[in-house]
Amino acid sequence: MGPLISYDIISQNSNFLFAFLIGIGFGFVLEASGFSSSRKLAGVFYGYDTVVLKVFFTAAITGMIGLLFLSLFNWINLDLVYIKPTFLYSTIAGGIIMGAGFIIGGFCPGTSFCAASIGKIDAMFFIGGMLVGVLIFAEAFPLLEDFYYAKNLGIPTLSEKLGLKDGVVVLGIIIVAMGMFWAGEWAEKKFPREEY
Amino acid sequence: MNTTTQTTPKTKYLNPYVGGVLLGLVLIAANFVAGRGLGASGAAKSAVVAAVETVAPDHAQNATFYSEYLESHDGKPLNAWLVYQMLGVIVGAFLSGVLFKRLKFKVEHSPKITSKKRIILAIAGGVLFGFGSQLGRGCTSGSALSGMAVLSFGGFISMAAIFGTGFALAYFFRKNWI
Amino acid sequence: MKPRTILAIVFITLGLVMAAIPQNTTHPYKLTPEQLLEQVNSGIQYFSPDQIADMIIKEDPSFLLIDVRSLDEYEEFHLPGAVNIPLPDLLSDEWKPYLNQDVRHNIFYSNSTVKANEAWMITLQLGYKNNYVLQGGLNYWVETIMNPEAPEATNPNEEIAKYNFRKGAGMKLGGAATVTEESNAQPLPSLPKIAPQTNKKRVQGGC
Repeated sequence: MGPLISYDIISQNSNFLFAFLIGIGFGFVLEASGFSSSRKLAGVFYGYDTVVLKVFFTAAITGMIGLLFLSLFNWINLDLVYIKPTFLYSTIAGGIIMGAGFIIGGFCPGTSFCAASIGKIDAMFFIGGMLVGVLIFAEAFPLLEDFYYAKNLGIPTLSEKLGLKDGVVVLGIIIVAMGMFWAGEWAEKKFPREEY
Repeated sequence: MNTTTQTTPKTKYLNPYVGGVLLGLVLIAANFVAGRGLGASGAAKSAVVAAVETVAPDHAQNATFYSEYLESHDGKPLNAWLVYQMLGVIVGAFLSGVLFKRLKFKVEHSPKITSKKRIILAIAGGVLFGFGSQLGRGCTSGSALSGMAVLSFGGFISMAAIFGTGFALAYFFRKNWI
Repeated sequence: MKPRTILAIVFITLGLVMAAIPQNTTHPYKLTPEQLLEQVNSGIQYFSPDQIADMIIKEDPSFLLIDVRSLDEYEEFHLPGAVNIPLPDLLSDEWKPYLNQDVRHNIFYSNSTVKANEAWMITLQLGYKNNYVLQGGLNYWVETIMNPEAPEATNPNEEIAKYNFRKGAGMKLGGAATVTEESNAQPLPSLPKIAPQTNKKRVQGGC
């Protein structure tokens, strides 16, 4: 049954329409949760506001549980869902550079678009910077190509890597996340601050 | 204190757990309909490829980064799923801004730094994020969030690398935020 | 109750359910041993030699015979139009477009049905459709089509009609000789023109 596009239940054009509608949901939830404020986002790194941690992990866990249950009822064929291939070195290096960009710029790409659309000028500059960053990467690509394709692990899942069932891994992630949420709320009490 | 930092003291945000569950449902919908997760930096990539193709078409044909992308999108870089999704994000965020009365042009920054410094840092952060998202094949939403939802090993690595670096560098940039 | 407590209760409950459910049910394309046994017992994978002979004579384009024996055995004798996919090579990428398609019927055969059934079970477990087995294998083929036994004149008419068909088919397909003149490998048939599988790949995505 799902993914609808893979089984030709919807056309490519309707897929783009759904992309727009899904985007509206995505943007609305991000903004409504406060992801349009860079100081709120950066708060997770100082403990005064851990909304990023909570929303991010709650969403990831909801996604995991939802997809596994849909697959259990044969409503979605997870073998057809896109899983990004893991190229170990470039994934780690890219993550480190993005982490630096996050603490310096205060946004990530998705949140910067949200913030820009409600009038945050710093977010508009962030987007400009991001386009330049992509351009730099594109121009430097011939130099980086070997590194970019190094250590291809294919499309492993965490459960395959750990040799555990998907369900057990999800349960483990849930327990870890609940611990982090508890720690986050404790930190928010310890470093209190009013909303911006 | 700079006037641009002043806002309504108690602006109302969604409970983070409610927001998280809603975001998770959006993510499930994306996987169910399109067989893929959410993303953001991919739209930036489309925009850059489209711009380069318009300005310097020869260069776009010769450099692998652009030509591969153009090939996979039938020469129409802006006709991509993530581009439509990103347009939706802009509309959705705007609607939320209207609903919760947060529409306002401003530069948000810590009172300890000036607007100018904040903007320079925003650009620098943007450049890093743009570069990093291409190297890491996806940003916080595309790689980390969507990847984790499908239990992708790479998604967890991205998440750990992004947030790990953020925590490691937080001390050096504390003045910008607190 | 705090939102975090509610969330924790819901998530941990669902997580426990998820962890308790056996893994294989989350992969719907894989058959459980029970389902597999049911398929094997039902015998729906078999095509009888008569059906095959009929299709060969009519040059029916909707099926492909696949010889899963070794190349040597294939070169010594094979059914007309059959291609050779030795069982050890079954999973190579080269053959995937032939095995994983839903345009025509693939019919595996070997000397008996053992190897053919093995090939069929592997493709079944991979989720490929339209793969079948020649009932009785080549031994039974030779027995029925190549050297049919004349029924007693007292047998019902259907038996006699069947014999006549088999005799005619046997003659047309090379008579009682077990070694055919054309020992060269058959040219590969064209791949199915319609490739309905192309869309059922993993979605191409990425940020």
